[in-house]
Amino acid sequence: MGKKGWFLIMAMLLVLTTACSGADSGSNSGASADSKVKLRIAWWGSDTRHEYTQKVIDLYKQKNPNVTIDVEYASFDDYWKKLAPQAAANQLPDIVQMDISYISQYAKNGQLEDMAPYLNQKIQVADVNENVLKTGIIAGKQYGIPTGVNVLGFQYDPALLKKAGIDKIPDNWTWDQYKELALKAGSNKVYFDSSMAADIFFHYYLRTHGKSLYNAEGTGLGYDDDKLFVDFFGGLAELIKKGATPPPEIMNQTKGILEESDLVKGTGIGIWQWSNQYVGLQQVVNRPMALAPMFGPDMEKGIYMQPTMYWTVAARSQVKDEAAKFIDFWMNDVEANKLIKGERGVPISAKIKEAIAPELSEATKQVFDFVASMEPKASPMSPPPPVGSPEVIATLTDYIEQVNFGQMTAADAAVKFRTDANTILANNKQ
Amino acid sequence: MSLRNHQSLRANMTGYAFISPFIVGFLAFTLIPMFISLYLSFTTYNLFTPPKWIGLGNFEKMFTGDPKYWNSIRVTFTYVLVGVPLRLIFALFVAMILNTKSRMVGTYRTMYYLPSIIGGSVAVSIMWRNIFSNDGIVNSLLSALGATPVKWFGDPNASLTMLITLSVWQFGSSMLIFLAGLKNISVEMYEASSVDGASPVRKFFSITLPLLSPIILFNLIMQTISAFMTFVPAYVISKGEGGPMDGTMLHSLYLFRQAFMFSNMGYAAAMAWVMLIMIAILTAILFLTSRYWVFYETEKGR
Repeated sequence: MGKKGWFLIMAMLLVLTTACSGADSGSNSGASADSKVKLRIAWWGSDTRHEYTQKVIDLYKQKNPNVTIDVEYASFDDYWKKLAPQAAANQLPDIVQMDISYISQYAKNGQLEDMAPYLNQKIQVADVNENVLKTGIIAGKQYGIPTGVNVLGFQYDPALLKKAGIDKIPDNWTWDQYKELALKAGSNKVYFDSSMAADIFFHYYLRTHGKSLYNAEGTGLGYDDDKLFVDFFGGLAELIKKGATPPPEIMNQTKGILEESDLVKGTGIGIWQWSNQYVGLQQVVNRPMALAPMFGPDMEKGIYMQPTMYWTVAARSQVKDEAAKFIDFWMNDVEANKLIKGERGVPISAKIKEAIAPELSEATKQVFDFVASMEPKASPMSPPPPVGSPEVIATLTDYIEQVNFGQMTAADAAVKFRTDANTILANNKQ
Repeated sequence: MSLRNHQSLRANMTGYAFISPFIVGFLAFTLIPMFISLYLSFTTYNLFTPPKWIGLGNFEKMFTGDPKYWNSIRVTFTYVLVGVPLRLIFALFVAMILNTKSRMVGTYRTMYYLPSIIGGSVAVSIMWRNIFSNDGIVNSLLSALGATPVKWFGDPNASLTMLITLSVWQFGSSMLIFLAGLKNISVEMYEASSVDGASPVRKFFSITLPLLSPIILFNLIMQTISAFMTFVPAYVISKGEGGPMDGTMLHSLYLFRQAFMFSNMGYAAAMAWVMLIMIAILTAILFLTSRYWVFYETEKGR
């Protein structure tokens, strides 16, 4: 082949490859000369969330006609699979909805912007409880603005509780009382609950004992007494064995199918989870339900106000001011919050909480009241889970599954988990 | 350069121009990524910080320090070694039925092929999840027959069985190939054997199977390779967790978890390359043994 031929081929290849990559390169240029601003925003969630979020965005565009907003949303699992490659390619959206289990990873890798300089400038925080705002601080910087807060609790059907021979959840109940009540329900052929998510509730249990799941630096576990592990998970496994909570086969079989869960079918009294999950559950259960605080002792040391999720701004964003303005709108605009209705957790601004109170559904009101009653009791949150925590949690869940299936003792699991978790966390140390 | 040469070059240029989209695609989306993945398999890489060279560290961890890896290999081999033969037997069985002369045969062929068109899709897996759920049709049937319902996704042994059932059910493409093979066997063979008084069973083992063996080899290899790479059903049915007790943790699912849930891209790349080599070895073995059981009508067929 002659020179000319090769040249032609090369030229064509060049055209083709640049045509491929050219599609993206134009989209980054945020603000342009005529003060038109383009924002990109991403979140995960359910259909309800997508709908009202779009309405809030439309409202914002209506009030700021120079702004156009591109939205990207997905389910929780898909969201992170999409976000990671975007981060690697330095293409994160300007505003990113962030989960507590991932924020460390993104913050520590320099993907997020420190929002501290924007506070009380672009973002008004006068009506926000300082403890709540502080939950967005990672490694000394305000990387996240909480969208709302959550608190752990027991969400149950009072009528079914009575049927199981229990009048009411006692005030200030303890771990031992919980186990007693659960066994009582079990002996009356009703499941007390559907067990507890291993990482969240073990972490709570550790906190009531003055420990935490991870150490402050995120380089290892935050406890070294395996007895705590054995007491907690051994206790839960015992409840499964004695029929107070469903066996793992049933739990696995019905996982993710709310309609088949015992609570919905009326064979289980309640469920342990975050307060913001109450409203959705109430809709499916469709019977009167109630919320109860966590078990003690030292419940006050254990509970904390957890940000439901954060708004964060990408470090690469060219339109950080506008992004901050949007976050402020989300936090402090009454009209917007009448659309949001506390779906991303109880709003962190006291003024907004008051302003939207009359608009709330019965279930949402219950949640707001519950969170309000817990807020004065809560202790500060532990630092967000470190890099590598998804793998640690998966490891924990695996071992607990083996314990629940009766294939491993809690004591063995405690030792194995400690070794594995410390290896994983050490590997991720940077 | 002579004139003729020049002309043929010009003619070729058009050809090159036409295939260049493929070449670009192949380079950009297959060959270069493959080399990058090979490089990454010797590193730790979390997508955020630059890859760090660790030599054979990933492979060492895989073979000596990761029981979950071995579990995923065990599950995958069970899935392939049980699922593929069952699927082929079933496909051949249906192909033979559909090879009869019946008026409805066209409709039947389409019907039986349908599951394979919607093949590895998410919808089918979700449907499968519903079929085998607590109140699903399978458990209803079991209770109607007086048997105890099975917790298909709850019991570590049952869940893999269910996954294999799903793979057997998607037998359509191998069935079509078998059907084509069956059509190629000349009727005279059967007629001659009938004259000699051969029973249908004898006909099947002495005529159908030997003449079909090249097709069986083809199907066996194709199905084995694709079975090793199965991902979607395991992911959907176990909600991405490979449970219960890692009973459905296929190799590809474990790889996916390492890559996209734990951000261990290097380790996942290493796993992918080991799987590639394993599939290559297995395929080679199939080819080597084929000379003892595959029969070609022309003597020097291979």
